Amino acid sequence: MNHPQRAAVFTSDAERTTWHDETLWFVRQKRDKAVYAIPEFQQLRQLASDIKEHTLSRLDEYLEQFERNAQANGVQVHWAADAAEHNRIVLGIMRGVGATSLVKSKSMLTEECHLNPFLVQNGIAVVDTDLGERIVQLREEAPSHLVLPAIHLKKEDVGETFHLHLGTPKGEKDPQALTEAARLHLREKFLVGQVAITGVNFAIAETGAVVVCTNEGNADLGVNLAQVHIACMGLEKLIPRTADLGVFTRLLARSATGQPVTTYTSHFAKPAPGRQIHIVIVDNGRTRQLGRPDFRASLKCIRCGACMNTCPVYRRSGGHSYDFTVPGPIGAILSPNIDLHQHSSLPFASTLCGSCTDVCPVKIDIHTQLYKWRQLIAQANELPAAKKWGMKLLSSVLARPGVYRFGGKVAREGLRLLPHGLTHATAFNPWAKARELPEAPKQSFREWFEQQSSIPTGQA
Amino acid sequence: MRNGQQTPMKVGLFIPCYVDQFYPQLGIATYQLLEKLGVRADFPRQQTCCGQPMANTGCEQDAKPVYRHFARTFAGYDYVVAPSGSCVYHVRKHYDVVEQTPEVQRVRQSTYDLFDFITSVLGVTELPGRFPHKVGLHLSCHGQRGLHQANESEMTPVRDGQLSRLLRSVDGLALTELNRNDECCGFGGTFCITEEAVSARMGQDRVQDHLQNGTEVLTGGDMSCLMHLEGIVRRRQLPMRVLHAAEIFNAALAQPSKPVSTFVPGAVVAL
Amino acid sequence: MSSSRESILAAVRANRPPATALPPVADFGGEASVERFTEWLHFIGGQVVRLAPDQPLEDAVQQLFPKAVRIASNLLPATVPVNGQTTTEVLEAVDLAVLQGELGVAENGAVWVPEANMLHRALPMITQHLALVLDHRHIVATMHHAYAAVQHTGAYGVFIAGPSKTADIEQSLVIGAHGARSLVVLLR
Ligand code: SF4
Repeated sequence: MNHPQRAAVFTSDAERTTWHDETLWFVRQKRDKAVYAIPEFQQLRQLASDIKEHTLSRLDEYLEQFERNAQANGVQVHWAADAAEHNRIVLGIMRGVGATSLVKSKSMLTEECHLNPFLVQNGIAVVDTDLGERIVQLREEAPSHLVLPAIHLKKEDVGETFHLHLGTPKGEKDPQALTEAARLHLREKFLVGQVAITGVNFAIAETGAVVVCTNEGNADLGVNLAQVHIACMGLEKLIPRTADLGVFTRLLARSATGQPVTTYTSHFAKPAPGRQIHIVIVDNGRTRQLGRPDFRASLKCIRCGACMNTCPVYRRSGGHSYDFTVPGPIGAILSPNIDLHQHSSLPFASTLCGSCTDVCPVKIDIHTQLYKWRQLIAQANELPAAKKWGMKLLSSVLARPGVYRFGGKVAREGLRLLPHGLTHATAFNPWAKARELPEAPKQSFREWFEQQSSIPTGQA
Repeated sequence: MRNGQQTPMKVGLFIPCYVDQFYPQLGIATYQLLEKLGVRADFPRQQTCCGQPMANTGCEQDAKPVYRHFARTFAGYDYVVAPSGSCVYHVRKHYDVVEQTPEVQRVRQSTYDLFDFITSVLGVTELPGRFPHKVGLHLSCHGQRGLHQANESEMTPVRDGQLSRLLRSVDGLALTELNRNDECCGFGGTFCITEEAVSARMGQDRVQDHLQNGTEVLTGGDMSCLMHLEGIVRRRQLPMRVLHAAEIFNAALAQPSKPVSTFVPGAVVAL
Repeated sequence: MSSSRESILAAVRANRPPATALPPVADFGGEASVERFTEWLHFIGGQVVRLAPDQPLEDAVQQLFPKAVRIASNLLPATVPVNGQTTTEVLEAVDLAVLQGELGVAENGAVWVPEANMLHRALPMITQHLALVLDHRHIVATMHHAYAAVQHTGAYGVFIAGPSKTADIEQSLVIGAHGARSLVVLLR
C-alpha cells in the first residue's frame, strides 16, 4: 500500500479523523500561543538554523571534539555506520555487563534502527518507559508521531490495552487512572533495570555532554537507577557550545507542545562513581544526506513534531499512513534518502502549502524539499505510469498554443455536452467522488476577448 | 505610481488554462477590473500555461519548454498579471531551472498576482463600490505563505493581508471570522486526484468552517482552490456562492456608493 | 578505534557543506522578576511559596507536607539519610525530598539543580514530592541567562520545570507521570 491508500483507510472513519485533526490542531494552537508570546521568536529560529548550519559545515571537527571531551569525562564512545552495527554495539554492551533487562526512554533513533525486535530476539527484555511508547509497545504498534507516540489512539483503546496487559478494570478509560496504573507498573521496571537507553536531543561538542529532554522524568529515573547508561544519537545532534542550548531549549518545547520548556532538561556528562556511560554515534544514511545540497538542511531537524501538528494532510491521514519511523512532512523528506522506491509516494502526500516550513523552529525548507524530491522521483522513473505519460503529453500540448487551444475546447465541450453520469463516473474521475466538476461555459475567455478586440476601445 | 499621462504601462494578462476554459467570467472580471483602475491589459493569444501542474508532479524537466514559451509570450510587457497567486509563485520561484536569459529574468520579476499588482504597483489599497454580503475569504497558500500577500498564523495572531484589506474597504461587505484563518483547502494540483480522500476531506473541513461562521459568498484570490471548494459546495448543495475576489470587486464597482478617494485617475474616468 | 569511526568521519569530510559562521551567543534581555517566575511555575503545575526572612525551613515544610514521613534533605533534619550509595529500595520509599535549587528561570519556571545538590542522582525524580529551595535573587530572565550563569553543566545537572507530567493519553494533561507528583519552590 502507498500513502494515498493508507490515508483513504484512515479517513474512511470520518469521526475519528475529525478527532485526530482537532486534537493535533489544538496542539498547533498551543504552539501558536507560546510563539506569539516571545517577541524574538523569529530571530531565535534564525539563530537555531544558523547554529545548525554552521555545525554541519564543520561536523567532522565537532564530532572529534565531542568524542575527545566525552572520553575525558570517562564516557565510552562508539561509532555505528548503520542500524545493524548500532544494534550489535548495544547488544555487545549489554552482554559485556551480563545484563538481560533494559529500560528505554524515547529515542527515535532506536526506532529507526529497529533495536527492540533485535534485542528481544537476542533474549533481552526491553521496556519502553515513556507512557506513549509503552502503550504502543504493548499493542505491538509503531509510534505514530515524534513526540506524541500514541496520538492515534483514544482513551478507550488505551483502557483496553491496559486491561489486557496491566490488569486495570475493564472499561477504565480515565487518563488519570490509566497514567497512575502505568506509573506503578513502570516503577517496578525502573527498579530492576540494569541498563538504561536514552535518545539524545543535543550533544555538546565543547563539554562532551548529552542533553535529554522529557516531561515524564523517565529518562532520568531509568538512567540514574541503572548501572549502565547507553545514549544513542544520530551524528546530526551535535551543537558547538553549552550556550547554544539557550536557543534550542527556548524553541523545542514551545514548538512541540506549547510548553515554555520541557519538565526535565537533563545534562549527562560523567558517569556516577562505579557506573558507565556509553554513547553510540550513528550514521545510517546521514552522511549521504549531508552530501545532497538540496536536502542536507533536513539534518537540522530537532524532532519537535511541529511540522506534523500543522500539516493538514498528516492530521487527516495519521502517522501510520506514512509507514516510516518519522512520519509527517519531515518524514517525507527523510525517507526517500533511505529508500526512494519504497517511499516514493510520501513527497506527494502534501499540497505544498508551506505551513511546515513556517512552523519549523530550525527553518528547514520542508515544502521546497518535497518539491525537489518529486523531481528526483520522476527522474528515477518512480512515478506511476499514468502520471508520467499524462504529464509528458500535457507538456507537449502546453508548449504548442494551437494544439492547446483545440484540446481545451474539446474538454470544455465534452463536459458541457456529455451526461453528468458519464463525466462524474468515479471510476475514471476521482475528482467527482466528493466534488462537482465546474460547469462548462459556452464561451472561453479567449473567445470573449477576441470578440472584444473587434469592438472599438472604450466599450468593453 | 504610473498613470495615463506618461507612456501607459504595458500589462499582459495571464489567464491560467482552466480559467480560460471553465471560468471565463473570471478572466472578464479581471480584465474589466483593471480597466476600471485605468489599466488596459492585453491578452497575448499565444499563452498556454505556467507549467506548474507538470512540475508539482515531478516533471519539471518536461515542463521546461512550457517555461520558455511563457517567457517568450510575455517578454514584451512591463507587467504580467494573473488572477492566480499559485501560477505567479511558480513563475517566480521555480523558473530557475531554465537558462536565466534577460528575458526570463525580467518576466519572472514582473509577474504579479492581480491583487499584489493592484496594491503594490497601482498603490490602490481601498476600493469603492458596494457588496452587501457576508464574505468568507479563503487565503490560498501560495499567495499567502509563498508570496507573503497576507500574514501567516504560524508567525503572528494579526490577521491582515492585501486581499482582506481590499475586501474590507468595500461598502457593506462583512468578512467572516473563521476558526482556522489560513488552513490549506486541499486542492494541491494533482494532489486533488492522487490523494483524493485527504484532499476531499480537507476541502469539506474548510467549507464547514465557512458554513458554521456564516459565509454567504466564499471568495479568494486563486481560482484553483475555489474550483475545488465550489465542487464541494455544489455537491452538497450548500447555501453559499463561490466567487473569485476579482468578480466581487468588479461587481461592487458597478455600483459605487462612497466618494472615490485614494484612487488612480484612470479609474474615475473608467467608472 | 573502529573502522566505522574512520569511514564516518571521512564521509562527513567528503560531504561537508561550505563553511558558515557560528553566530555569537544570544541575549534578548527580558524580565527577571519573581512575579514572572511564579506565574510560569503555576502555569506548568508547580507552586511557589515565599518564606518569611526569619521563618525556619522546617516549619514551612511541616506546614506544606504534614503527612510526609520519609523526608530526604541536606537542608533540614531528614528522616531518611541519602547519599550516592543509597539503595534503590530506600530511595523508592522517599515521600519528600527538600533540595537546594541554584537558579530560577522567569520565562518558564525552571530551576537548575546540579548533581552536588541532589544527594543521589535519582532522588529528584524518584521522590513522590519535591521541594526546591531557591534564593529569590537567583532568578534570571531567560534560558540564555541561565546557561550564561551556569557556565558548565558539570557531571550531571537538570533544569526541573514543575512536576512530572504526561499528555500521552488523548492529550489530557496528567500530573505525576514517573517523576515527582508535585513540585514546590520555596523562595527565600
Ligand atoms: S522538521 Fe522542523 S518542525 Fe519538523 S520535527 Fe524537525 S524541527 Fe520540528
